[in-house]
Amino acid sequence: MRSPFSLKQEFLKKWILGLQRCRSSKKNMSIFKRKKVIKLSADVAMASARKGTTCWSRALIADAVKEGNADKHLAEKILGPASERQPTEKVPVGAMAYNKRIRSKKILKRSSVIRRTIKCAPQAARPSSIVKTLVGKRRQILRSLIPGGEFMNGVSLIEETLDYIISLRAQVDVMRSLASASKLVNLN
Amino acid sequence: MSSRRWRESSRTNISEEQITQLLSTLRQLLPEIPHSHSHKASSAAKVLKQTCNYIKTLHREVDDLSDRLSQLLATIDADSAEAAIIRSLLI
Repeated sequence: MRSPFSLKQEFLKKWILGLQRCRSSKKNMSIFKRKKVIKLSADVAMASARKGTTCWSRALIADAVKEGNADKHLAEKILGPASERQPTEKVPVGAMAYNKRIRSKKILKRSSVIRRTIKCAPQAARPSSIVKTLVGKRRQILRSLIPGGEFMNGVSLIEETLDYIISLRAQVDVMRSLASASKLVNLN
Repeated sequence: MSSRRWRESSRTNISEEQITQLLSTLRQLLPEIPHSHSHKASSAAKVLKQTCNYIKTLHREVDDLSDRLSQLLATIDADSAEAAIIRSLLI
């Protein structure tokens, strides 16, 4: 299990980097826009801290830079120059779901030697007692909550959920400590 | 490809075990609920339901924290004292 500490450090580092990249346009930013920048850079940082090893992180970043997304430019700014991005971001913008699946399969095949294989393509799970509970409304809800959930099934869905929850918790912890520290500093 | 079929069938045999294991890990991650009937025998469906609620809660928290931070950080100055404090706290 990856250490939660290093995950938080990685997240903070990437988050600050993303915020720095948006700093130039900071002068007269409305509070609404500022919130969007903070939230988007936090989400992107959380996803890129996973370095493309999980499906949800790739899907999150792919969605952020998708054609037709209102905050596409902001996301691209946060991600930085294309040379610094993870290779998985090369998923074609606006690709159909099927192509996305094939792509992730290829990337997974390439990385399976080094990294832990997490299968992204839906598996044909024969209905057993427990797998049956994964069918139906609850599974639909879970899939809608996790980025890229529509492409996952069975075991991979639960694995992705676990990783997603861990990352979300790290994100919340770091953001919370930054908020309380800011409050302390502002009080001076 | 017979080897592939063999792999697939053994995969489904393993997957039920895997799912049980994953679900128990998931159960540990979820926040404890002080109900009388929340002993280890909670069903997979219940775990999934709690998981969905927990993820929604976390999403809401991130949103709230972004709101607060956008008010507190008047200028997103990453070199400021706050970032340095956090960094030192995390190390």
